[in-house]
Amino acid sequence: MGPMFQDEGSSSVTSSPLQLFSMMSLPPSLGSPYPWLKELKSEERGLYLIHLLLTCANHVAAGSLENANIALEQISQLASPDGDTMQRIAAYFTEALADRILKAWPGLHKALNSTRITLVSEEILVQKLFFELFPFLKLTYVLSNQAIIEAMEGEKMVHIIDLNAAEPAQWIALLQVLSIRPEGPPHLRITGVHQQKEILDQMAYKLTEEAEKLDIPFQFNAVVSKIDNLDFDKLRVKTGEALAISSVFQLHSLLASDDELLRKKSPLASKNLNGSHLPRVLQINQSTLGELLEKDMVNGHSQSPDSASSSPISLNASAKMDSFLNALWGLTPKLMVIAEQDSNHNGSTLMERLLEALYSYAALFDCLESTVPRTSLERLKVEKMLFGEEIKNIIACEGAERKERHEKLEKWIQRLDLAGFGNVPLSYYGMLQARGLLQGYGCDGYKIKEENGCVVICWQDRALFSISAWRCRK
Amino acid sequence: MAASSSSTLFFGTKDENQSQTAQQASSTITSSTTPATAPQKKRRNQPGNPNPDAEVIALSPKTLMATNRFICEVCNKGFQREQNLQLHRRGHNLPWKLKQKAKKDPKRKVYLCPEPTCVHHDPSRALGDLTGIKKHYSRKHGEKKWKCEKCAKRYAVQSDWKAHSKTCGTREYRCDCGTLFSRRDSFITHRAFCDALAQESARHPSMGSNLFRNNHMSLGLSQVGSQSQLSSNMLRLGTSGAGAKFEHLNIPPSNTCNSFGHPMPSPPLFMPDANQSCFPNKPLMHGLMQLPDLRTNTNNSSPPTNHHLFNNITFFSNNNGADSAANLLIPDQLNSNNGNASGGGFSSSMGGDHHHHHVSSLYSSSSSLHPENIASHMSATALLQKAAQIGSTTSSNNSSLLRGVATSSSSDKHNVLVNLGFGFGSNTGNGGGMENASHLQGLMNSLANVNSSMFGGVEDNNFDGFNAGGSEAKLHDNLGVSFGGSDKLTLDFLGVGGMVRNMGGGYSQREHQHAININSLEPADSKTQPFSSTTLE
Repeated sequence: MGPMFQDEGSSSVTSSPLQLFSMMSLPPSLGSPYPWLKELKSEERGLYLIHLLLTCANHVAAGSLENANIALEQISQLASPDGDTMQRIAAYFTEALADRILKAWPGLHKALNSTRITLVSEEILVQKLFFELFPFLKLTYVLSNQAIIEAMEGEKMVHIIDLNAAEPAQWIALLQVLSIRPEGPPHLRITGVHQQKEILDQMAYKLTEEAEKLDIPFQFNAVVSKIDNLDFDKLRVKTGEALAISSVFQLHSLLASDDELLRKKSPLASKNLNGSHLPRVLQINQSTLGELLEKDMVNGHSQSPDSASSSPISLNASAKMDSFLNALWGLTPKLMVIAEQDSNHNGSTLMERLLEALYSYAALFDCLESTVPRTSLERLKVEKMLFGEEIKNIIACEGAERKERHEKLEKWIQRLDLAGFGNVPLSYYGMLQARGLLQGYGCDGYKIKEENGCVVICWQDRALFSISAWRCRK
Repeated sequence: MAASSSSTLFFGTKDENQSQTAQQASSTITSSTTPATAPQKKRRNQPGNPNPDAEVIALSPKTLMATNRFICEVCNKGFQREQNLQLHRRGHNLPWKLKQKAKKDPKRKVYLCPEPTCVHHDPSRALGDLTGIKKHYSRKHGEKKWKCEKCAKRYAVQSDWKAHSKTCGTREYRCDCGTLFSRRDSFITHRAFCDALAQESARHPSMGSNLFRNNHMSLGLSQVGSQSQLSSNMLRLGTSGAGAKFEHLNIPPSNTCNSFGHPMPSPPLFMPDANQSCFPNKPLMHGLMQLPDLRTNTNNSSPPTNHHLFNNITFFSNNNGADSAANLLIPDQLNSNNGNASGGGFSSSMGGDHHHHHVSSLYSSSSSLHPENIASHMSATALLQKAAQIGSTTSSNNSSLLRGVATSSSSDKHNVLVNLGFGFGSNTGNGGGMENASHLQGLMNSLANVNSSMFGGVEDNNFDGFNAGGSEAKLHDNLGVSFGGSDKLTLDFLGVGGMVRNMGGGYSQREHQHAININSLEPADSKTQPFSSTTLE
């Protein structure tokens, strides 16, 4: 009869103030449970949503799905994708939590997602919207281009590999600057990597057109591939050319691996699985839910080093990442520009990730709230199709499926350092342009700061994206 | 008269001008140097460092300042130049001879300033030109007889005065720090490094700021005010007692607002679109609006925007060095300077002005799309911070919170959570009362430092007690009172916290539900005594 409790244990989560907040009792609900919920003012509602969200997440992490269900029910009364910021965030987070719960029934999960159609055009649109509604990509491009230009001073043959060739704007700008180089434009080759051929075709068309206008010898090679299984030979790096590599939000997916499944099962875990609370779930799908629970519990009990929870310096070993970085190093690029999300969404436990993601996406949703009206369909699309999907991946997926493994800048610095790259500080002039761009942007919530030669873009105090430049160290 | 000097050496001829007085001239050194085998080309020495082989000539002040050295013997008319005198002599039918310009190459002459305190009095710092030494002497040691009409500047040399009055007031560049410049390049260099400028732009992101945002800062402040009201009300509810709804309270902002007060002044939410008519932000708006329709197209509308964006970036990057910095900075000033004449001058000279405005229109058009989000609502980030704050302040008795709710085994937080979960779970079964009580109890237990065994007992009893349901009414009354006496809930979490304390007080003096005194946390025994007794009833 006693309540089933499962110890997640990891101490950082225990002491988080948000967790403590979620442990406070809720004001009682008098009368019928929910109508009063509607009458909440926005701030109260926001706080209540946070409380409910965390409570629900705790239940999910602990495996008490009945309680999670109740919490979800309550949240659904308050959350809404077209309400205020907190309502929207709650909507997507609860969807992610629900998705996570549903994965305990894989058949059900697959059936529900089987008729989902993802239009390539919508994906293109969402990426375009992200470019336009936020300054992050613009800043990234400005800083990268400046770094490339400085590294390629005096070079006659320049080859750029774009690991996510979707947005031509960056290279169009680069072409324009190169065309007025004092020593004349170089012979430029751009190799674009992307999963979809149509996007690469479009890039090729736009860039070739621009290069012709500017009279720059130019060549675009399309490589249709995922980053995971990129065949480096297809990149056709030639000797004698100066190589620059640009990776915008691509590296983190390489950290995804089946690491959790390789952990040993703990006896305590199995004992708890026999707890009374989840008969239905366990009998049907012991393996998957069990895995889910095990992961959380094992993480709690065993002190296995994860990417986030223990010491900040320990890196999650990822064979894929190592081999990829080695291959990149093997190309001996003159410059490599890496742009990544600067948040720790790769914690080993759900709660860690959820808490971090709450802060990060709160900041991102706040950006939109401050700059785009609530009724905007574009904003809705970005929130749903871009952020919502990322949140879902962070919260609901595990193992190889969880691709959105964002990590903090210091970890990337370490990784790249270990892989044989040396940091190239971003130039003062590049910073000047970036600051000018931000000033012109007209929204002073965006901040940009320099950290160890890398640039971090923040919203208010929250670091969101980092940009850094690297060279091959011998 | 004493117009001449011992400049016999200079002229090399003796003519009647040399009414010579002057060994008063500090003809200190008339060292005739060795005739230098001077190179044919005319070499200019460093200023103030004369050719060591040159002949040093020292003239008296009078001679130096003499304007009309050459006097016609016939009519006593004075001339500054000998050539002019010769030409004048033609008119008198006097013999005249025009001299060629004296070859200075073999014998370079340098001149000393007659003023002993002057640095050019020393032969090693002699000046190489007679006209130069004259002007120098006037400027430095002479009386300033020429005065500019427009400003207060005075000049000793007429040519200086003329040159100044030509440019005085015609082109002025004024930096924000107040310095005035007549030259564009010095103005630009100054601006690039001016401190005042840097502070200005840090505080007010000025590109388009004046144009696109109305009273941004003031609105921000008003918003801080309103939000701090809200939050302070929420905070105060717990402490104030009577369980009034928070909107009835008018309490000055407490300083807990400062935790998120800092981000607030630049409220992310409120970007008035008052001035968006200034610029054609429509292209971007259209672009955005059309994007859904262009799904199947090849995004025709958006690339132009991109290009413009980067046109301006590349424009900026075209310039080198200080100029580029200036180009970047000047646009800032363009908008923040009010009605400065130089602003107009700039836009033409910079050339990038239009681009710049276009850029800023592109950038801020997204912000100008903003509008109707109401001022009085907190950003999600602020809400999270507040929640964290509440969590950490309320659990300042951290250990007690964790120790509080105990079941048969360890008292860790999950018990609390699950207890809450039970509260949730049981909510469906029972009425709200049970949930209330379990919640309250949870907090009660946690806030009072009672050992777990006691709690264990209480808790079990509590459940039973609630099943009996006898105490519900009483609890309800208390709840009702504390909650503001109506079915409607006042949802504020610190209110709950405070209320629980109130409940503690209330329970201990059962009859005084209104006697809310947060400081009256009774010692454990007395508190649980009535508590358990009520629940066990």
